[in-house]
Amino acid sequence: MKKIITLSLLALSFTLITTSCEKGFDELNTIKTAPTNIDPAFTLNAAVINTSVPGGTLQYDLGIVQQIISSNSGIIAGANYNQVNPGNTPAIWIQYYQNVIKYTNDVIVKTATITPARPNLTAMARIMQANAFMILTDTYGDIPYTEAGKGFTSQLFYPKYDAQSAIYPQIIQELTDAVTALDPAARIETADVLYGGSVDKWKKYGRSLLLRAGMRIVKRDAVNGKAAINSAFSAGAAGLVTTNADLAYIRHDANFVNAVGNTLNSTEAANYYMAAPFVNILLANKDPRINSIAVRYVGATSGPEQVAAKADTTAAKQVGIPMGVDDLTAGQAATTAGIGSRYAFTQIDRTRLSGRLQPMFLLTAAETNLLLSEASLAVNNFIPGGDVAALTYFTTGIKAHMDQLALYGAGTIVPASYQTTYINRRSVLFAAATPADKTKEINTEYWIASFLNGPETWANFRRSNYPVLAPNPYPGRTVNFITRLTYPPSEILVNKNVQSAISNMGGDALDVKVWWDID
Amino acid sequence: MIKRYLIVGILFLIGHQGMAQQGALFASGTKQHQPDASATESYSLKEGLSQLEKQFDVSIAYKDEWVNNKTVQVSNSTFITVEDALDVLLNETNLNYEKAGKGFYVISLRKSEDKTGGMQSASLLKVPVMYPTLSSSTMNFSAQDPQSISFASAIDNLAIAVTGTVMDENGDGFPGVNVLIKGTSVGTSTDAAGKYSLSVDDENAVLIFSFIGYATQEVSVGSRTSVDVKMTSDVKSLDEVVVTALGIERSTKGLGYAATKVNGDELSINRTSNVMNTLTGKIAGVSVSGLGTGPAGTSKIRIRGQSSIGGQNNPLIVINGVPMDNTNFGSNPGSNPDGSIGVRSGGGGSGNTSDGGDGMTSINPDDIESMTVLKGAAASALYGYRASNGVIMITTKSKGTAKGIGVTYNMNFTDETPLDYTDYQYVYGQGENGVRPTAPNPTSGQWSFGEKIQPGMTQVLFNGLTVPYVAQKGILNQFYRHGQNFTNTISLSSTGEKGGINLSIANMDSKGIVPNNTFNRKTINLGFTYDLSEKFSFRGNINYSNEENKNPPNIANQDNSIPTSLMAMANTMPMDVLRDNRYNSSGNEYIYSRFQNRTNPYFVLSDQFNTIKRDRILGNLSFKYEFTKWLFAQVRAGQDYWSRDQEYNNFPTGLASLAPAPTGFVNGQYTQEQRRFRETNIDFLISATKDFGDFGLNVTAGGNQLYRRFDNNSVQVTDFIVRGLYTVQNGRGKDPQYSFQETQVNSLYGSAEVNYKKYLYLTGTYRQDWFSTLSPGHRSIPYGSISAGYVFSESLATKPGWLTQGKFRAAYAEVGSDNSVGAYSQQLPYGFNANFFGGTSPVSSLGNSVPNTLLQPARIDETELGFEMKMFDSRINIDVAVYNKFTNNQILPTQISDASGFTGTTINSARSQNKGIELMLNLVPVRNSNFTWDFTFAGAYNITKVLSLLNETPGSNITVGTHVFNGSVQQIVGQEMGQIVGFGYRRDPATNQIIYGTNGVPLPSLTQIAFGSALPKWVGGFTNSFTYKGITLSVLIDFKLGGKMLSGTNFNAYRHGLQQVTLQGREGGIIGQGLSVSGGANTVVAPVQDYWSVVRSAQLVEPVIYDAGYWKLRQISIGYDFSRFLPPAFPIKAVKLNFVANNVAMLWKGVDNIDPESFGFSSDNLVGMESPGLLTTRSLGFNLNVKF
Repeated sequence: MKKIITLSLLALSFTLITTSCEKGFDELNTIKTAPTNIDPAFTLNAAVINTSVPGGTLQYDLGIVQQIISSNSGIIAGANYNQVNPGNTPAIWIQYYQNVIKYTNDVIVKTATITPARPNLTAMARIMQANAFMILTDTYGDIPYTEAGKGFTSQLFYPKYDAQSAIYPQIIQELTDAVTALDPAARIETADVLYGGSVDKWKKYGRSLLLRAGMRIVKRDAVNGKAAINSAFSAGAAGLVTTNADLAYIRHDANFVNAVGNTLNSTEAANYYMAAPFVNILLANKDPRINSIAVRYVGATSGPEQVAAKADTTAAKQVGIPMGVDDLTAGQAATTAGIGSRYAFTQIDRTRLSGRLQPMFLLTAAETNLLLSEASLAVNNFIPGGDVAALTYFTTGIKAHMDQLALYGAGTIVPASYQTTYINRRSVLFAAATPADKTKEINTEYWIASFLNGPETWANFRRSNYPVLAPNPYPGRTVNFITRLTYPPSEILVNKNVQSAISNMGGDALDVKVWWDID
Repeated sequence: MIKRYLIVGILFLIGHQGMAQQGALFASGTKQHQPDASATESYSLKEGLSQLEKQFDVSIAYKDEWVNNKTVQVSNSTFITVEDALDVLLNETNLNYEKAGKGFYVISLRKSEDKTGGMQSASLLKVPVMYPTLSSSTMNFSAQDPQSISFASAIDNLAIAVTGTVMDENGDGFPGVNVLIKGTSVGTSTDAAGKYSLSVDDENAVLIFSFIGYATQEVSVGSRTSVDVKMTSDVKSLDEVVVTALGIERSTKGLGYAATKVNGDELSINRTSNVMNTLTGKIAGVSVSGLGTGPAGTSKIRIRGQSSIGGQNNPLIVINGVPMDNTNFGSNPGSNPDGSIGVRSGGGGSGNTSDGGDGMTSINPDDIESMTVLKGAAASALYGYRASNGVIMITTKSKGTAKGIGVTYNMNFTDETPLDYTDYQYVYGQGENGVRPTAPNPTSGQWSFGEKIQPGMTQVLFNGLTVPYVAQKGILNQFYRHGQNFTNTISLSSTGEKGGINLSIANMDSKGIVPNNTFNRKTINLGFTYDLSEKFSFRGNINYSNEENKNPPNIANQDNSIPTSLMAMANTMPMDVLRDNRYNSSGNEYIYSRFQNRTNPYFVLSDQFNTIKRDRILGNLSFKYEFTKWLFAQVRAGQDYWSRDQEYNNFPTGLASLAPAPTGFVNGQYTQEQRRFRETNIDFLISATKDFGDFGLNVTAGGNQLYRRFDNNSVQVTDFIVRGLYTVQNGRGKDPQYSFQETQVNSLYGSAEVNYKKYLYLTGTYRQDWFSTLSPGHRSIPYGSISAGYVFSESLATKPGWLTQGKFRAAYAEVGSDNSVGAYSQQLPYGFNANFFGGTSPVSSLGNSVPNTLLQPARIDETELGFEMKMFDSRINIDVAVYNKFTNNQILPTQISDASGFTGTTINSARSQNKGIELMLNLVPVRNSNFTWDFTFAGAYNITKVLSLLNETPGSNITVGTHVFNGSVQQIVGQEMGQIVGFGYRRDPATNQIIYGTNGVPLPSLTQIAFGSALPKWVGGFTNSFTYKGITLSVLIDFKLGGKMLSGTNFNAYRHGLQQVTLQGREGGIIGQGLSVSGGANTVVAPVQDYWSVVRSAQLVEPVIYDAGYWKLRQISIGYDFSRFLPPAFPIKAVKLNFVANNVAMLWKGVDNIDPESFGFSSDNLVGMESPGLLTTRSLGFNLNVKF
C-alpha cells in the first residue's frame, strides 16, 4: 500500500513537473509587436503598388520590342544579345508571384469570411490578381494558376502548372465575375490607392482588362475571345477606361519609387539607350512625342559626361543605338554615326519621363481606345462601328497618350498644335490604308502608347506582329525573336511540376511561343 | 622587514656556502650577511631544494634523475613563500612544481616538455594525486623563525625511529620519495639510495609514501622500526581532471567520450584577435576559421564538421558553467536563420555587410584559465539541445596560483602585415575591348581589357588627367596599412585558506588593415571563490567588457565594399590618382567605372562610417552545500546581458551607385540601432558520490531554466535635408522598427556513473527539454546517453612495462534540439511600411516564409568509439576516435516555389549523417634534462552526407544560400553536404568537349551542376615543440583539405581581365577549343572580353570553382624566461617573453589570387561562396608576462 502511494506520488509529481515545465509558453510565444490580422484593404494596397512593372523589364521586355537597349554584357545582358540570362529572366515572376498574388490571395481568402462582407474589396483583389496572372502567363506561357499564391492559406508549396489555354478562360471568368460583383451599394473601399475605391472606375478597369484579355486570345480562340470582348464592351466605350480621367496608374512617390526609373537613375544610368528602331519610327513619323521622351548628350564620352549642359532634346539631333551591338561594336557604330562615343546615343530622358518618382501606367485610355479601334475594324467586327468607329478610336487613342504624357510633368507636355498636326497626318493615312495596314497603324501606335509598360508592349507586339521589326542582328544571338522568357532557375530546382509545363510547351527556350501567339 | 633580511641572508648563504656545508646552516638563520645585489651563484638544484625544505619546513618530492646534475643560478632574492622560492629555483629547469597539500610540494617535469604547448588530449596531462589534507593547525611557516620549526628539531621530539628503503618497480632504491606521517605535516624524503629515516609518535602512526606518477601508499608502522616499500607506477596519477557538462569535474579516465583541454597560456601568448582562432589546427576534429573581416571579426568554429543542413552549426560556449550568447553579427544572408538578432533586413540590401563580430570578442584571453572542448553528443548530452554541435567550456581565473597577493602584468603586441596573394596579369592595362582610356572621364576603372602596356604610353583618367600607362603592382599594400593589436592586462590575485580572488583589468587596442578600422576593448574580470564554512561555499565570476568597433568594413558585396573594388581594380590605375579624385565638383563620388557599384575605395574610406559600441556584463554566482562528504547540492544563477549601439550610413551621400534624391534632398541612407539582449540561466544540481566495495557510484540530478529576451530599436532614414548630417531627424523617408523576442527553455536532467575497481566506468544521462518556440504538443523531447570507459591497462594482472595506460571508450547519445526555430515562428504577422503611400495610405506586408506549426524538435544520434594508449613513459601517446552521427528531423528553412507567393518554409524532415575519425598522436622523440622534442599531430577526417530532405529521393535538393555574384549552395540527397552549384560549360555528351555559341563564346550547361562539397574533409595540424635550456620553440603547420570553393574574387578577375588566363586572345580574339553549337568544331573568333565575361553573362561559374584546401605554416613561437637575470632586490619576480608569428607562410593552396581563408561569410548557408574579403594578415608580435 505504502509502495502504491509512493509510486502515485512520484507519478503525480512527475506529471506536475512536466506540465509546469511548459507553463506560460503559449503566452510567451505569441508575438506582441506585430499584428496577425489587419484591414485587408491595406494588403490590397501592397498588391496594387507592386503591380508597377519591375526594373528587370528593361533587360528583356523593352529590349525585345526594340525600344530601350543596352550594349553591355554581364548582369544586364538579355534582349540585347537575345540570350538567356538566368539572373534576369525571373524578374516578372518574382514581382507578380511574391509581391502581388501573395497579397491578392490573402485579401480574397480573408474577405471571404469577414463580417460585414466587403464584396468590393474582394472584387478589386480579383481584378488585380487576374491582371498579374495575365502578365505572368504572357511572359512565361504555362504557369501555376489554380494553386498559385496559396503557400500560407492552403499550404501549397509546390503548385502545379496550368496550360495557358486553360488559364485565359479562367482569367476572363474572374474579370467578368469581379466586374459583376462590384457593387456601388456595398462598402466603398476608400483606402484604395488606385481609384480611391470608386466602383465605377474599378468596373471600367476590370472591363478594360477583359478587353485586353479577349483581344489577346481572339486569334487563337475566337469564341472565348469574342465573348470576352463583347462582355467588356457591354456598357460601351464609356464603360471602359477610354478617357485619361480613368487611367490605371501607380502614383509613385519618394518612398515607393518607380522601379524602371530607379534603375535608369542609378547604376545603369549610362548603360541604356533608345534603340534605333524606336527612334527611327518616331522620327520617320515626325512624332512630336520624341521631344518628350528623348535626350541626347552631345559629345559625351562616358557616363559622367552625360550632364545637363550636353543635353539636347531636339528631335533632329536624336540618334538611336543600333540593335545588336556590344560595347565594342557600339563604339564603332557611334563613330559611323558621327557622334563620337556610344555614350552619346539617344537615351530616354531620365530627368523627365523616367524619373524615380514618375507614375507607372498599368492600363491606359490610349491602349483601350487602340484595342477598340482594332476590334471594331470591319475585318474584325468584334464590336460594332466598323472602320469609321475604328478611326475615331484610333485618333482618340493617340490623343489620349499625348495628353497622358503631361502627367509626367511640364517638361513632357505635347503641345496641342503638334498633337493636331500629327493626328491629322495619321488619320489620313489610316483612312486610306488597307485593312492590314490599319492593323499595323493601330498597333504601331499601341507600341508607342504602351512605352515603358514592358509586359504589355511586348505582349501586344507578339499578338499583333506590329510594328514590323527585324530580328536582333547580334552575332551571338541564340534566337531570332524572344517570344517568351525561360522559367526561373529556382523553379527548375525546387518545383518538379515545371517539367510537365516544359514538355507541354515544347521546351523552355526563349523562342517557344505561348499558346495565344499563333504566328 | 627583519624577516625579509633574514631570508635574503639565508639564500645568500645558500649561494655561498650551501654546497660545502649541507644541512648545517639553517639554524644560523639570524646570521647577518651583507647582501650583494649583483651576486649570482651556482649551486646544485638538489641542494637548493633541500635547503628550502628546511627553511620553510615543507616537504618537496621529486625524482633524483630530474634534479641531479642540475645547477641553478639564483641571485640573492627575497622569498616570502616557498612558492616564490620554487618559482625562482625551477625557473630555468624543465621542472615544475605543484602544491599537493599543505606543506607538501611535488616537483614534476614541466608540462610543456611531455606535451605540446599545453595542448593535449585530456588524459595526457599529469596532475598529482590528491594528497590527504593535513592538519589545519599547520603554521604559517614563512612567518616563523626557521630555527624553531626546523625539521631537525621536530625529529628530536619524536619517540619511535623508523627507517626503511623505498624501491621502484625494478627493486632499485627510489630516491626522492616523499614520506609523510599521516595527519601531520611531518615528513622527509628518501635519499639517493632510497633510504629514509623518521621518528613517529606511536605505533598507530601511518606513513604515506608518495611520488608523482606512482601510487601513493599508506603503511601502518605498527611495532616495526623498519618499513620498506615498493612503489608502483600509478596510471591514475596520469589522469587529468576535466570539467564536464554542468560544471561537474571528472577524471578523464572514466570518460566514454572525447574531451580536450587547452590551457590559458596557450590562448594568451599566441594571441589572435578572436580568442577562438587560436585553436586552429590544434585539436583533432575542431575546425576554426577566422574570417577576413577585420580585428573584431567572427570566428567560425565547427566541431566534427557541419551537421545542420541549414541552421546553426556553432558549438555552445559555456563560461564557468553558464552558457554565453555567441551570436554573430555577420550581416550576410543566412547568418541568422531564425531571423532573431540579425542586422536590419540582412544581406546586401541594407548596404551594410560588415562583420559585427560575435560573442567571443568580449573575452580577454588573459582571463581564461582553461578551455575544454567536448566534441561528441555524449559529452554534451547534459547540456542538451544547444550543445548538439559540441561545447566549448571556458573556465576563467578565480584565484591566484600562490598564497598571498600576486600581481601580474601582461603585454601583448602584434603587428599585422596584409598578405597579398594576387597573381594578376600586368601585360595589358586598363581599358575595354583592347582600347586604353584616352579621353576625359573614362569609366573602364574596373576593367583591364585595354592595350598592351608599352613604355611611354599614357592613359587619361578622370577629368583629362594624363598619367603614364604602367602596371600598378602591389596596390593592395598601398591601400591597406599594417594592423596592430596591443593588449595590456593587469591582474591581481590572492589565495588564502578559504578561497581566492582574481581581478583583472585589460585594455586592447586594435588597428585593422583598413585605415579607418579600429577596435578597442576594455575588460574587467572578477573571479572569486570562498568557503563560508566547511560545508558551504560559493564562487562567482563577473566579466564586464566595453567594446567599440569603428568602421568594420563591408565585405563580400558590391556597393561600398572596399575589398571588392580593390581586388578588381584596373591594373594600371594609380592609387594616388584614385584617392585624389574621389570627389567630383559637387562633392559626390567621381565616377571612375561604369560599374558604379564598385565604389571608389577611397570614397568609402572617407565617407562611410559604422560604429558599434557594446557593453556586456556576463557572470554567474553559485552556491554549494555539502551535506556530507558524499552529497552536495548546488544552485547557480548566471546572466549574460549586453547592449549594443550601432550607427552606420549604409549609403553615404553622393555614392555613384545611388539614384538622386527627390528635389530638395540629398541622397544617402543612415541607420541607428540599439539592441539589448539578456539571457538568464538558473540551475540546480544535487550530486552524490559514494563507493561500495569495488563499485563507485555517482548520481547527479538537476534542472535548468533558460530565458532569453532580445529587443531592438532601429531607425533607418533615406535621403537627407542637410548634407553631411547623419541623424535620424535629418532624414526624409523614415523607417522606425521595434522588434522584441522572448524564448524560454526548461530542462530536467540527471546522470549516473558506476565504476568497477576504477577501471570500468559506465555512465548514463537523461534529459528532457521543453521549448517555448514550438507549438503545444510538439514542445518537449526526452533524450539520453550511455557511455563506457574501460581502462584495460589497469585490469591486467601484469601490465607490461612499456604500457603506461590503455583505454577503450564507447558512447551512444541522443540530443534533441529546436535549433533553428525562432520565437513566434508559428505565426505570420503583418508588417507595415513605415511611410504611407502618397502620404496617406497604409501599405502592409507579409513575410516571405510560411510558418510551419507542426515543427517538432530535431534529434541527433551519435555513436562514438575511442581508444587511448600511452606507452614508454608517455613518450608515445595515441588517442583515436571514430564517430557516426545522424541528425534527424532537422528543422531547416527550405526554398519553396515562389509561385506559392512565398519563398520558403521550415521543414522538419531533413536527415544527415556525419562520419569521421579523429587522431591525436603525440611523440616525444627526445627528452632529457637539456633538450626535449615533442611532436603532436591532431587531425580528423569528416564526411557529412545528406540522407533526406523533404523525401529520400537521391538528387532532390534545396537551395540554402546564394552567392552575391553567381552560384548557390545546395543540399542534395545522397551527396555530401554543402554542394556548390552553378552552371558549368555545356559539353558534348560523347566527347566531353566544350560547346560554343554562334558567337564563339562558351555556352552554359543546360542544367546546373553540383561541383562538390564546400566542406573540408581533412582538418588538422602538426606541432613540433622544442625546449632547450629554457628556450621553447613551437612550430605549427595546419591544413584543411578536401573542400571546394566558388571564388568570387576570381570570378571578377576573369570578367575584368585580371586573371592570367585572360591573356589568351588579347590580340584578335580567341577561338575556343571544342564544338560549335551549330555543328562541327568551333571556328568562331570570339572577342576576348565577351569570351572571358561569360562567367557573368551566362552565370558560367565552372572556371572559378577551386579546391579550397591549403597547407599553412600557421604559427611559430619562441619563448624565454628571463627571471634568473633579475637582480635580487628587484620587485619583479618573473619575466617571460614570447615572440609569436602567425600565418607565417602559405605552403600550398588550391585557389588563385587569394588566401582560401579570407572568406567573408560566417554562415554555413554560404559555405564555399567566397567573395572578396579583407586580406589575411601575418602577425608578428611578442607577449611579455611580468609577475610582481
